[in-house]
This record gives sequence, C-alpha cells and structure tokens, in this order.
Amino acid sequence: MSDARLRRVQKEIKDCAKDKTSQISIEMVDESPFHLIGAFPGPPDTPYEGGYYEVDIHIPDAYPFQPVKMKFITKVYHPNVSSASGAICLDILKDAWSPVLTLKSTLISLQSLLCDPVPNDPQDAEVAKHYLTDRASFTATAKHWAQAYAQAPASKQKPVPGKQASDAEMAGLAESNVQSFTDMGFERAKVISVLKKLNYRGNNVSNIHESTVLEELFK
Amino acid sequence: MSSDDEANDIYYDDDDYGDDFDGQAGSAEDESMSEPDAEGYDVLSPSIDDLPQKKPYDVTYKVRTVQEIMDMQNREVQKIHALLDIPTSTAAILLRHHVWNSEKLQEAYFTDPEQTLLDAGLSPPSSPSPVKRTRSQHTVPFECPICCMDFTKEQVEDLTLTMGCGHRFCRTCWTEYISGKIRDEGESARIQCMGEACKRIVRPELVDELVPGELSKKYHNLLNAAYVADSPSLRWCPHPGCEHVIECHQVPPRMLNQLVPTVKCDCGRFLCFGCGYAGNHRPVLCKIVKMWEKKCADDSETANWLQANTKECTKCQSTIEKNGGCNHMTCKKCKWEFCWVCMGPWSEHGTSWYQCNRFDEKSGIDARDTQAKSRASLERYLHYFTRYANHDQSAKLDAVFYTTTENRMKAMQTQGLSWIETVFMRNAVDTIIAARITLKYSYAMAFYLVRNNDTEIFESNQTDLEMAVENLSHQLETNPEPDILMKMKQDITNLSAYVKKRSDILLDDVLTGYFEGRWKFTVTV
Repeated sequence: MSDARLRRVQKEIKDCAKDKTSQISIEMVDESPFHLIGAFPGPPDTPYEGGYYEVDIHIPDAYPFQPVKMKFITKVYHPNVSSASGAICLDILKDAWSPVLTLKSTLISLQSLLCDPVPNDPQDAEVAKHYLTDRASFTATAKHWAQAYAQAPASKQKPVPGKQASDAEMAGLAESNVQSFTDMGFERAKVISVLKKLNYRGNNVSNIHESTVLEELFK
Repeated sequence: MSSDDEANDIYYDDDDYGDDFDGQAGSAEDESMSEPDAEGYDVLSPSIDDLPQKKPYDVTYKVRTVQEIMDMQNREVQKIHALLDIPTSTAAILLRHHVWNSEKLQEAYFTDPEQTLLDAGLSPPSSPSPVKRTRSQHTVPFECPICCMDFTKEQVEDLTLTMGCGHRFCRTCWTEYISGKIRDEGESARIQCMGEACKRIVRPELVDELVPGELSKKYHNLLNAAYVADSPSLRWCPHPGCEHVIECHQVPPRMLNQLVPTVKCDCGRFLCFGCGYAGNHRPVLCKIVKMWEKKCADDSETANWLQANTKECTKCQSTIEKNGGCNHMTCKKCKWEFCWVCMGPWSEHGTSWYQCNRFDEKSGIDARDTQAKSRASLERYLHYFTRYANHDQSAKLDAVFYTTTENRMKAMQTQGLSWIETVFMRNAVDTIIAARITLKYSYAMAFYLVRNNDTEIFESNQTDLEMAVENLSHQLETNPEPDILMKMKQDITNLSAYVKKRSDILLDDVLTGYFEGRWKFTVTV
C-alpha cells in the first residue's frame, strides 16, 4: 500500500507545482515526501490579506485513508487556530476526511477557514472570545499578527507605515487600558496577560470591574 | 443484491411476532409473564408476585447467544422486508439507520420513501442497481482518484466499482479503505462512500465481497455489537471470554433507583443488567456502587495515609504532618502552639518540656474532642472501607479457598466418606463467598445511608450475617478428628443453611425497602 501512498503524494506535489492559478505551494522539507510544507497567501478582504501562511504537513502511513496532519507554522490570530501551537480545528482534518481530498484541496479549505471563522467551535477560546465580543478590535489584532508574522504590508491607514505593532496591540488591547494598570506599578507583561485572559476589550471593559483585574494581578 | 432468495418462508405479522417473542422472553421459571406492554415495567404486578420462589425484586430475563441476536435482527428485517416490499439488505440498513425503531421507520417510509432511503445512505429506487453498472459506460480509461492508478477501459468493469452515487474508485482502494474502517476504527453500519461528503452507506454484501475472512467476520460482530448497544433491552455479558447477551425488558433507567437487576449469565457468572457491572452488587443500587468505587479509588489511599501520619491543629483544623523535631508544635497557619502528644495548649505545659504528663487535663481533653470531631467523617469512611475491602479481599481469595477445600475433601474421602458426602464442603465455600460479596456491598450501602430506625434493622441484619459467615468460615478451617467427622458435616451444613438464610433476610429487607421507599441516602440517587 505504501507504493500507492508514495505515488499519490508525488502526483499531488507535481500537480500543485503545475497549477499556477491557485497560488498554493507544496514543498518538501527534507528527502522524505511525507513531511511537507504547504503555503498560501492570506485571502483578500480579510485581516490576513497580504500575509503568507506556511503549514506543516505530515502524511500518515495510512494516507489517503487517514486524514493528513496539518498545523500552521506561521502564527495566525484566528478562533480556530491555536495562537500558541498553530493547531487547527477543522472537520475535514478529523472525521469529515475523505480519501478523495488532496493536500491542495485541504490547503484551500484552510484558506477559506481564514475567511470564515467558526467561533462556536474554537481551537483557541481566548481568540474566539475576542472575536465574538469586539470584532473591530479582533480584526485589528489579526492584522497586526499578519504584519508581524506573515509579512503582510502595513495597512494604509497606519500613520507610520512599517512600524512594529506594540505588545498591547498584538494582544488586541487598547494602549490606554494597559497604561492605566501599568501606572499603578504593575509589570507591563503581567498586565497584558491578565487583560487578555479577562478579555478586557471594547464594550466588555465596562463589564469588568477594576477590582477583578487587580485581584488577578495580585495572584 | 437479490433479496428474494434470502426471503425465506417465515413471515411474521404483528401478532405472531409478539407471541413468539414473548414466549422466548419468559424465562423457565416464569412462563406466565404477560406481554410487556406500555406499563410492562411494573415489577410489582400481581402476576409475578403469585409465582413461587420469584422475589418481587428479581427481574425476568433470558440469556441469548449471538446466533439468537442475529435471528432477532433477521426477524425485524423480514418484517420490514415484507411490509415495505424492499430487499432485505435495504431493510436492514434502514432499520439500523432508525436505531431498530420499526414504527418510526414505517412512518418515515410511508411519508417519503425516496427521502427515507437517501437519509439512510441508500440509492433511491429509481436509480440503477447499486453495485454493478452497465458496460456501455466505460468507453474511456479511468484513473483512480485515490491511488492514481490508470485503468484501461477494458479493466474498468472488473477492477473498479461505484455504489451508484457516481463515485468510482479501484477495488484495491475500496478494500484498503474498508479494512481500515473495520480494523482501526471499529466502524460497521456507518462506513460511507469514499467520495467527499458522500453519505452513501457501504452495503454488507460489498464488505463480504471485498474483505472476506477475518475482517468480514469482525464486521458482522461489530454490526451485532451495535444492535445490542442500540437496544435498551439487551446487554452483553461483561465477563471476559463470554459471548452471551442478556435480554430483559423490565429495567428502564428510571427504575434503577429502586431495583438492582442482578442476572446470571449462562457462563455461570453474575452481572448487573442495569449498569453492566461484572458481578452481583446487591444490595446496593447501581448509582451508589459507582459512587462508592470511585470514592474508594480516589480517596482510600490518601485517607489511610492521613489517618496514620497526621493530626489536625486543635485551633484551625489544618492537617499537620509531624516529620521530626520535638512535641512543641506551632501551627504554620494560625501560629497556635500545642503539644503533639496530648494536643493540649503548650502554654500549660510549664517546665515539663520533654515529656507530656498532662493527658487528663481538661484543656487537653477538649482539644482532643474537637480533633475527634473533625476526624469523625474520615474515620466513618475508613470504618466502612476497611470492612468493604476486607470482604473484597476474602472473596478474591476464593480460588485458593476452593483448592484447599478440594484437598480437604480428598482427605475426607480417605477417612471413609464418599465423594458425594464431601460435596457439602464445596457448597459451604460457595455460600461463604456469595455472602461475603453481599456483605461487602452492604458496607458501601451503609456509608451512604441516612441513619434512622430502618438502618438499625439493616445494621443488625448485617451483624447477624457477619457473625454467621465468620462462624462458618472458622468451622471450615478447623481440622476435625476422624471420629467427629459426621458431627462436623452436620454443623457445617447447618451453618451454611443459616448463612444463606441470613443473607436472604438482609437482601430481602433492603430490596423490598427500595420499593417501599424506606431507605434515605445522603446523596441523590
């Protein structure tokens, strides 16, 4: 059966190289055709536009009867992608897998997952919370991540193009909110991690009492 | 695919089926059991009460073989086959899709046959025969989209196949796919077409054709297992190596707070029909035995260690381990100073720093009292646990007990008794082990009971049984002189009968008590 697996993977890599329209690339990491890196551009009209996303691909022994194992190498700020490990929550990578799906079609599915997050079935609960409570702030953070990690060009609205996103912006927090607690003498990193955990963003800020934040900070 | 040759001459209409089923469901001791109707779960119905030897808390059941389970499915399938005029294999897939609820299936089918078939992953009746296709289609070569092998147009018919949904793959890939589903994922009734998002179900005939032998056998076992799992009135015997299924219609989950449906499989071992427990956990309820075992697994080691190695601070009740140093303790938490030996306040110890001679002082007694209270719940648990564990251990040693008894029976045969005259020994061991198991679970029950007058009776029953068991156990272990052999036989037989009697009394009291709502538990059941 391994013949069939090798034949199929080689054909998939070849087909992908031939196809110029999809902008999807699949390349070998080492000599093994069963450990690959896939890459695709962030979909247009999303915070990920302009970014370039790399995906680690492992072909299991029983491929294509078992789903391929994929995770993001590029950091992505998205409800269905772990912001720490890059693990992906997508049905076709689990029980909805079908042997007719290919590496290319799976990568295209990942691309469309970036267009349409499924916050109700999240991989990263914190990001999903952010997405559901304050969309504008979520989008801003996702854009910052795209610029910082996926080489997306800085957007035109930004006053200083090319400026690195601040740590507060990266976490989707308002600088003024972070400031108000660092002014009390708390460590900046600690403040950011606590506010992130409490989802201290947008309208949610009014729901969280200052004492709750302080309690967390003192822990 | 043809079903007509499979359709044998057995035809069941509703009445025939009901009668037949009922006759088999009734066990040997209960021929007069009425048909289980909507109210059929009423275990206290007079028809059952009238029966001699059958206790109201016993359930009627039947032990089935795998063959019988298959026959049961076939009967259902034949019924649908005749009623809806569809092939038997289609009927089977429809029934599995509807979790063997034939009324629901009929309703759905009569409303919209096509949709019902599609929902179950079958091709609608209008489409061509599912497995084979006409040759005329294969005018072009074919490349399998999975393994990327090329097939000439002559090879297509023999080496590839589709299930009527238009997704064609080569037979090697089908075989590989189905093997993986059965072997690695334990799938059976829900193996679907390999096409993306295609819900078409792989038919058993195709499985048999593509993966004959072991895997096909496993596939059919899995189908049977799924049938048993889907049916609330069936349960596999949980004992290793046993392939029987218990059928019982009297135990809906809501009855489990007043019924302990212990049944005996044909393999000779007990199980609980309610929770699948591999043994007889009477008198205690399924939910409580589960709670108790979990508690024991979680707590008992920790609790034992705490009991042996720690004391509580007499002021703040923090648990303290003394791991060295003198008896002058200062609680880390509340800074209270006390004496480890008498637990009294250190301030009263005056100059007698290194020996505590203040045991009778009032403050020390008070301190020990508070400590005792805080320990009471732990001790209460350990009290029941040690007795539970003790009987558990004794019952586990039954294999050893049987061999020693076997040896002694042989010894007696050299002393002039015939084999049949020594069988009382083995019967006595059987009785002891059964009684120990009852005792064991009665301690789990006692732990959760709210104390009232009824628990007094329960506890005295427990004490009586405990004493009877210990007496018999002792008798069995003493080696008698040959001249009093007959007397010993008499004693052991009598004691065995007494143990049995006490055991029955305890079980009877508890199990009828459930019906009467006499038992109150500290937890909700």
